[in-house]
This record gives sequence, C-alpha cells and structure tokens, in this order.
Amino acid sequence: MMKFRYILLFGLLLVAHGLSAQSPKGSVLIKNATVLTVTQGTLENTDVLVEDGLIKKIGQGLSVPKGVESIDASGKFLMPGIIDAHSHLALDVVNEATAPITAQVSMADVVNPFDVGIYRALAGGTTIAHGLHGSANAIGGQSITMKYRYGTSDPEGLFMKEAPRTIKFALGENPTRVHGRGKNLQPRTRMGVEAVIRNGFEEAIQYKKKWETYNAAKDKKNSTVTPPEYNLKLETLSDILDGEIIIHCHSYRADEIYMLINVCRDFGVDKLVFTHVNEGFKVAPELAKYTMGASVFSDWWAYKFEVYYSTAYNAAILMENDVITSINSDSNELIRHLYHEAAKTQRYGGLSDEQALSLITINPAKQLGIDQYVGSIEEGKQADLVIFDQHPLSVYAKPQMTFVDGIKYFDINEDVDDQRLKVSPTQMVEPVYLQAEDERCMHGVELFTEEAANFTHTH
Amino acid sequence: MIKRQNTLKLLMVWICLLLGQSVYSQSDYTGKRRVTGTYAITNATIITSPGKTIDHGTIIIKDGLFEKIGTNAKIPVDAQIIPGDSLMIYPGFIDALGEQGVSAPEEAQKPEGMDPSNPPNDVAGITPELQVLDYWDVNDHNVQEWRKNGFTISQIAPKGLMLPGKTALVVFGHEKSSNYLLSETGLFAQFKTPRGLYPGTTLGLMAKWRELYKNAKLRQEHGKMFTTEGNGLARPQNDPSLEAFYPVINQEIPVIFKTKNELEIRRALRLQNELGFELVLAGIEEGSNLTDEIKAANAAVILSLDLPDPKASKAALEEATAEAKKSQERVVAAYNEVLMQAANFEKAGITFAFSTQDAKSADFMKNLNLMISNGLSEEAALAALTINAAELLGISRYAGSIAEGNLANLVITTDKLGLEETKIKYVFADGYLFEYEEDHSKINMAKAKALVGTWNYESKTPGGTSKGNIKFEISDKELQGEILVDDPEGSGQVSRKLKDIHFDGKELSFTFSIMVREEKLIVHTKGIVKENEFEGDFSIKDKGKYSITASKVPELEF
Repeated sequence: MMKFRYILLFGLLLVAHGLSAQSPKGSVLIKNATVLTVTQGTLENTDVLVEDGLIKKIGQGLSVPKGVESIDASGKFLMPGIIDAHSHLALDVVNEATAPITAQVSMADVVNPFDVGIYRALAGGTTIAHGLHGSANAIGGQSITMKYRYGTSDPEGLFMKEAPRTIKFALGENPTRVHGRGKNLQPRTRMGVEAVIRNGFEEAIQYKKKWETYNAAKDKKNSTVTPPEYNLKLETLSDILDGEIIIHCHSYRADEIYMLINVCRDFGVDKLVFTHVNEGFKVAPELAKYTMGASVFSDWWAYKFEVYYSTAYNAAILMENDVITSINSDSNELIRHLYHEAAKTQRYGGLSDEQALSLITINPAKQLGIDQYVGSIEEGKQADLVIFDQHPLSVYAKPQMTFVDGIKYFDINEDVDDQRLKVSPTQMVEPVYLQAEDERCMHGVELFTEEAANFTHTH
Repeated sequence: MIKRQNTLKLLMVWICLLLGQSVYSQSDYTGKRRVTGTYAITNATIITSPGKTIDHGTIIIKDGLFEKIGTNAKIPVDAQIIPGDSLMIYPGFIDALGEQGVSAPEEAQKPEGMDPSNPPNDVAGITPELQVLDYWDVNDHNVQEWRKNGFTISQIAPKGLMLPGKTALVVFGHEKSSNYLLSETGLFAQFKTPRGLYPGTTLGLMAKWRELYKNAKLRQEHGKMFTTEGNGLARPQNDPSLEAFYPVINQEIPVIFKTKNELEIRRALRLQNELGFELVLAGIEEGSNLTDEIKAANAAVILSLDLPDPKASKAALEEATAEAKKSQERVVAAYNEVLMQAANFEKAGITFAFSTQDAKSADFMKNLNLMISNGLSEEAALAALTINAAELLGISRYAGSIAEGNLANLVITTDKLGLEETKIKYVFADGYLFEYEEDHSKINMAKAKALVGTWNYESKTPGGTSKGNIKFEISDKELQGEILVDDPEGSGQVSRKLKDIHFDGKELSFTFSIMVREEKLIVHTKGIVKENEFEGDFSIKDKGKYSITASKVPELEF
C-alpha cells in the first residue's frame, strides 16, 4: 500500500514537474543577416531558422515553415546572445557576510524575476548571466546561471537547468577586510584566506568519510553506528572536491591567483575559473595550463590598493596565451553594453573581430560549462540571438531584437516604454536610476567594514 | 396528579435556587461575579454560518455554550434577555493568525567571545521550542481592541525572528478564565534574521532551514534507535530546537510561514517542496497570482487584513507631466490589485482565513468593507472570518458557526457586515458578554477632518501682537494638534501639544500649557470655526483673556 502510494506520488511529481519545468520556446526565421557565428566564421546574407527554441538550420534561401514568423534582417548583424560570467543582477541578497565560508547558501533562493534590470540587460543583447554571491567571504555561496526569460514571475523560470553547479570564492582585500579587520576573525591576511580554504576542504574530506563510514555500517547486523550531523556547508565543499561544482574565484593579484591554483591542485580540483584577475597577465601560462580561464574587466582598476597594477591589455594578453578569456560586467549598467567592453580589446591589443566577440559569447559559456548549448550560432544549439543594426563591435551599434530560446524578449521598435513587471502600490513615483548602481560585489557588508563608506568601488 | 407533579417541580426549583443563592451570594462579597451565565438574545436575524439565516430567531446561551437556537426557543427563567430586534448575529470571528496580548521574549544574551558565524540558536532567533502561551496575557489592550471588532478566538503567534516558536489557540474570554483552547498548533516561521550574525540574510535563512530540518530528522531517528535498541548506541544529545521539529516531521502540526509577498511565498513553497512539511501560508498581502502553485502544494492560505496606504494611489497629479500621470496609473492599478486580492482567491476557488498580524484594529471594518466593495462576496468574507478559519485550525466541531453545543462566541451588529454604518453592539466570547456602547464623547471624525492642516493665528495681548500657528492632524483615529507660541522665557517660539480638543463642527476648544518662571500655566482656548476662519479667545486662570483669530493655510496639492 505504502509502496503504491509512493509510485502514485512519484507519478504526480513527474506530471507537476513537466508542467512547471517547461520554459517557453519559440520558432522564427531570421533572413538575410550577416551572421557572426563566432565559432564558424562570418556568413553573409544568411538565414537562420529556429524551431522550438533551437537553431534548426543555417543557410541561404531557407523557406519559412508554416506558422513561423519571418524577420528580414538585410543589412543587419546577427550574433549569439551575450553571456555575462559575473553579475549580481536580479538577486535580492548578494552577501551572507556573516561567516568566512558560506558554501551552504544558494543564490537560486534569492532570484528576483521582477528586476527591470533584466529587461535592460536584454536591451543590451545579454541573454545569459551568471548570478554570483558577493566577495565578502573566502568561500561564498553557490551561484545561479540564468537565462533572461523576462516576464516570468517564477524565479525558477529564469534558471538555466542545463547549467552545472558553480560557486563563488574570493581572495585578497575583501574577505580580509570583512572578517579580519571587521570582526577580528580569520582571515586577516592573504595567508589566512589560504588557510580558511584549505581547512574547509580538509574538514569536508573528514565529513565525507564520516558519512561513508556510517552508510557502510548502518545496515549491517548489530550495527551500533548513529547518524552523524548533517552539514550543508561541508556537503557542498565535498561536492567541489568531487568535481561537481565549478569555482569562480574573485581575485586580483598574481600571487593569490597562483596560490589558489596550487591549493586546487593539492586537492585535485580542476574546475576553476578566475574572475576580475587584474594581474592575470603575469600568470597567463599558469592560467592557461591549470584553469578553465579568466573573466576580466576591460579597463577597470585603481579603485583599491590591490588593483593598482593593471592594464587594459589584460584580456588580449590572456587570449594570446591561450587562456579561455571572457569580459564580464559585475554591474547592472555595464551588462547593457558588454559589446562595447569587448570592442575595447581591439583598441588595446588588436584582437580580431572573432576573438573580441568570443570574449562575451563562447568563452564565458565555456567557463560556465554551457558551451555545448549556447555561445555561438550553430545548428542544434539553443536559439539565444541578438540582431544589431551595425557590427556589434562598432561604437555606433545598437541591439534591435534579442531572442532567448527563440522567443523575442526585446524589440527596440515595438516594446512599450514601461517594462516593469511589478509596481509598488505605495510608492508615488518609482525611483528611476539613470545611473545604475555600479557594482554589488560587496553589497550588504557595510555592517562589517568601517571604511566601506569610503569606497565606492569594491569589486 | 398533574398538579402535584408541578408543585413538586416548583418546590425543587425553589430549593435549588435557595441553595444556589446561599452558596454563591456568600462567597461573592466583591460583587464582581456575574449575575447569570445564561443569556437569551431574542428576535434577531441570526446568520448561523455563511449563507444560512434564521429570521426572528432566539439564541439561548448557557455556561459558555449555545444551548438552543431557533424561532421558538423557550427562555430560561434565569436568563438575561437581550432584545435583538433589528440586530444581526454572526458567529464570533476567528483570527487565523494574530499576536494580540503576546509579548516578546527577553532578548537572548550573547555569550562572550561568540563566533558570529556560529551563534547559539536563541541568539540567532531560532527558538522553535518556545511556547507562545508563556508570553500571553488576555488582559492586554490589544485583545480588547480586537474583541471589540468581533474577534473571539485567535491563533496567536510568538514574537521573534526566523523561528520564534509554536503557536496556540486562545479564546478572548473572561480575564479570570484560563482561555486556552489548544497549545502547539503550529510551528511559526518568518523571513526575519538577526543583524550581523549567521543567518543574517534570506540566503542564510534558507540554508539554515534545510540544515535544521534534516538534522531534526536524523536526531529523531537516532532517538528512536536508542530507545528501541539501546545497548551499544551513543546516547543522543538533547537539543530542544531540533526536538521542536518532530511534530512537524511527523505531520502532526503544520509550519505556519509568514509570507507577505510573492517571492516569500515562492521561497516557502521551495522549502516545502524539498522537505515535505505541511504548510500554512500566512499574512499574505500579495499572492493571488500564485493560486495554481498554492493549490498544487496543498498549502492553506491566511490572508492579511492589512491593506496598503492609499496615499500614493490617490495623489493629486493635475499639474504633473504626462509621463508621471501614466506612471501613476500603474500605482493605482497596483493598489486596486491589492484590494482585489481576497476576491481573486475566492474566484480561484481557494478557501482562506484572515490574519490580524500587522493590521491595525481601528482599520478592520474599513478594510473588510474595502475588500467586499472590490469583489469579495459577503459570504466568503464571513466564511474567512468564521468557518474557514475554524476548519483550518481543526476546531469546526465546536467553533466557527452558531450551532447548539458550540462555544458561545458571537458578534452582534446593528446591520449587515460590509456596510459602512454597521456597528458592533455586543460580542460574546466564551459565553461572556461584552457590550459596546457608541462613544458619544468622542469627536466626530468626519467633522474633525475640516480642521486638519495648518492655521496661522494672531492674538492681541497687552504686550503686543503675537503670531504663530496651530497644526491639526488625525493620527491613530484621534484628532491631535500642536501650537507654536512665543516663548515667555526667551526669544523664539516653542511648540506645545494640544489637550482636551473638542470640536462639534462649529465650536472648537482645547487647552495647552506654557511654563512661566517654573509655573505651569494652562491656556484655555475656545471659539467658533466658520469654514477656514476661527475666532475666539485664549484665557488663563486669574491672568486674563485675549482675543485670537486664525485662518487656515490653503493646502498645496502637488
């Protein structure tokens, strides 16, 4: 009877899952565009047929299937949806800054699908963003890879279900300032940060062993083992050690970057991406050899001591050294024109069009472990696409339409002005920020940092 | 034969009465004991439960229960009779989640050298083991305020942070009764965290919830193993917080999650989906878009009786830009959407009860009427206040409707619910009568509104002309005011609070005090208001009388 009920319950759950898990998918034919595939060159006067959310066919003179809308993109440019590997947009909370390790927390719990910033990002051609925990803790929370399907009220409607798990780490001044100087706890120095991470991993190994011992013995006859305490933080750390989670680590200095490479090598962890990485150019060969790449700013530096030694050539140098390189926003404003950020690498470093575009498409996709689904225009991939009026690396370029899974979420000509999904019944005029908040990496840690007020830039 | 029997009966009644009298009258020297516990409310319109009405009915209440309900109930000789002609009788209202009379526990002491990343449970706001009854007082003025609104039973919630403790069910009866109906009716949870300690945000809260729940399960398993097998097993450590989860894990009580908006509801559903507890979503202010999800989760619904401030939606924007006006339309729509929430739940076929948490008792009738005028049916409104709440709380066998044998909880009104002029005249709670006479001494608020604003005055005194202003406002349902007068002890002006304000639409009087050489002088002010002008005088005992004129400053609208 009990068993039957479970089967029934399972069946119901499956049905419910089927109902809720279906994100909307569309079909469309985009005709006569200059298609910037990123991975397979530039195709002039080419059609791209999207069916049920996937790119079905790329070619010339494709015929429109019945009932499918056709868009004439003559003279326009089609590129893959822009992917931002480092963002804090559409998150209600950024930092759980109360402990040096908070691997147990999940950004998926605090996604806010009503954030109008999502629409603004779409208007800048961004279709996927990696929502990260802030940089207050040596090991922060688990991140969430979102597809910007704006319009849903369900946070899970934004989740990219195919994306692997990821987690935020942070080195240097932020964790030492929050916990060391702010609360007189470890880590107070860069050495402390390393110790915190190593201790965390060691504890996770012991924790895993405890559970393995218990599970192996509990069903044996006359067993006297009792269940150990469940610890979500150590569960997560042990999943990192098992290679189930990709680390995205906030870092600036070459020494600390190399430190974490060594820590991960000691623990057999190879799923590692560095983010910010201002001194990455000094350790480019090591980054190329041991990591899944570096996600950098185009030209931000000098907002605090550890970011003085920086260069706008960073992305180009890393790229030429075979590091998988991406350019990220870490900002609700920059996320609206990542194509400009990518174009800066042509001024500083002379990257080719294809290289520059890869910084905001296929490379961040690789860093998030989703490159088999998105990041380029290829048959079989998910139809996240942006139509530009000019070449996206031109300073005059403006996105015209943005598609996610074949559905149009932005149209510069047709959309109404007010795109807010939710309006407060008690606020007379909603505050409109012409200048979006610069960054949110250290959002919510003011409590612990007496000098936080003096810093506007604390990435 | 018949006659003899009757005589015998009478004799017995007489003896009983005598006995009763001698027993009671001797002990009740205070005179506080009520004369009778038996009541008869006669010839009233009785709504026994939503949609069921008895016209010209009589209700007999005896010893805290409904004894008889009907059109020809016999009135017992010892009954206090309440003529119910033209009155309406409803079942006593049930608050599905409130906090009337609940005080907050003392703040937990932080141990010295505490690690903020791992604080003790009580410091972090995790006290699921706490029982709200230990912090409850029926004599609290909030209990009286809500009883005055017709509430007779409440599921009270403890105060605190993420897991403040267990709820309980109480009746708003006599101050000397115990008034407890049920303890441990649910585990109360909310999205509130301490500052600067783990879990300090919703991120940490969600993770902490998962961890507590799973550890409680493991601990219970361990405890069972220890009691059944014992020998050779480590003894489980006592952990009151984890043990408090056992009845939830065993599906004996629900988690009552305070979820004000859509995202909080989603988060509670997310936890429920992962952990599998019974869920009550309480205090919902915004959630009618989620009726499908709520149905799928089989969660019970308690809507908030609080409504948003209409100020933003009613702002005057005549001179604003077209863009601002357009933007305003959405604010109005959002406001109306909140007013329609209850109606939308009704339309979606979800039964719900109401919660008074965060609602002002003075706004109860007004808010209920707003919901009804925005599409909620009268029947559904009444059901939410009575039978739905009783069913949600598992007490419909003896509460929530007017039926013989049920607890004698009643609301007696002057007219139908949902009408602006309807007043509550009597409330019965636990068989005790509470009577509410209309308060005539109070100021007529409709008239008092004419005073609200700033008045500039001028007063001629022997020392010259003195100028200042008087500000009136309505706050907490009372007319309040302040006057700016020349400081008698120096230069500049001082602000004094007005007392004893009386206004009947024409004559206005109030007093205020000023200090002159350490002597407190009371200034009596009296005069006549004609539209935006006031003429009258200040008088100070033994000191004299000075004329005063004032005119109201036109309100700037923008």
